[in-house]
Amino acid sequence: MASWLIVPVIAGTLVIVIGLNMRRRRDTVASFQRQIDALSPEARRGVTERIRELDPGRDESDGNGDDRTESDDNGA
Amino acid sequence: MTEPRVTTMARDLAIDLGTANTLVYMKGRGIVLNEPTVIALNRQTGEVLATGREAWQMIGRTPGYIVAVRPLRGGAITDFEITERMIRLLLQRVGVSRFTRPKVVICVPSAITEVERRAVTDAARRAGAADANLIEQPMAAAIGADLPIDEPVGNMVIDIGGGTTETAVISLGGIVALEAVRVGSFDIDSAIQSHIRREHGIAIGDQTAEKIKLAIGSADLTEDEVPAEVRGRDLTSGLPKTVELTPEEIRTAIEDPVSSIITSVTRCLSKAPPELSQDFLVRGMYLVGGGGLLRGLASRIERETQVPVRMSKVPLEAVVLGAGHVIEHYDDLKGMFMGARR
Repeated sequence: MASWLIVPVIAGTLVIVIGLNMRRRRDTVASFQRQIDALSPEARRGVTERIRELDPGRDESDGNGDDRTESDDNGA
Repeated sequence: MTEPRVTTMARDLAIDLGTANTLVYMKGRGIVLNEPTVIALNRQTGEVLATGREAWQMIGRTPGYIVAVRPLRGGAITDFEITERMIRLLLQRVGVSRFTRPKVVICVPSAITEVERRAVTDAARRAGAADANLIEQPMAAAIGADLPIDEPVGNMVIDIGGGTTETAVISLGGIVALEAVRVGSFDIDSAIQSHIRREHGIAIGDQTAEKIKLAIGSADLTEDEVPAEVRGRDLTSGLPKTVELTPEEIRTAIEDPVSSIITSVTRCLSKAPPELSQDFLVRGMYLVGGGGLLRGLASRIERETQVPVRMSKVPLEAVVLGAGHVIEHYDDLKGMFMGARR
């Protein structure tokens, strides 16, 4: 193999490896963000609707905390 | 014996495989099945005779050649082969066949062993699932209780099921602290059975014990307590006998399992990082699972931990609703599966 090819091949390989690593890091960041977004209140709207179907009496999500125990009524 | 089928093409499914009940959520449709986790078999041939509600009604009432079993006890699989058959029948009931191969997400206790994990996923795949993954019950419960687990705040969920109690602190889509104990509402029923056998000399079945728990059982002193009568078989004479039970004696009888549950909640609280603790000291802990419906339990936990306790509006369905949400957002949430590289 011509010796003049060695440097470009090594440089090209390094560029590809670094590029792939950077892409993987961006991918993991994007992947985590997608996971968080999929757990957001907007994404959970479906869950809220299912809860409403099962329990029509409620009008807020559980996360807003309307469901105190009976000890509240007794002032405990 | 035949049972009603959900006659539709099966889409992706989420299954809450609980010690007491099994619920199935179908993508786009919601909860399509909610049945006791019981299977009835012909003792001689091993054939399945019934599953779910039909099999549950047979418990304690079977002739010699039929046995009605709960394949899960304390959240653990006691019989792998029966569990596999039950999962297969379950999937068939909701329309899974060799032509429809849905993805399946199954909720399991966090303390499940590696062997049990493989058994559950293998059973689902053999039953026709294209892919089977597991998610921890407390995580699914937190999603199903509509808690803001996407935020960097502490969310605490207590899931009291039939065979296990799991308490978890969750933040940013992951479990921060977890405490699990193999004590649940079935242990409370067993404590009632043992007490009545010991103190009154009569034998009662599982379902009668559960009825007593629902009628007069409590974890804390409650208002308007009235005694109840129970009829059982006298252990000495073998004849039917009626005894009166007071709420106080039942409260005492179930104190051990109730204390175990509360102790595990307290241990989880002590494991939580201080920053996250501040969040749920204000926002409260959320109670899900059928066991959490025991009269006075929420107020007792609140009293003993000094942390507000809130009951999920859908305590029996929270886990499967949470898993259903994962199924609806499968590609984005697959990092939450047990064993997933994170």
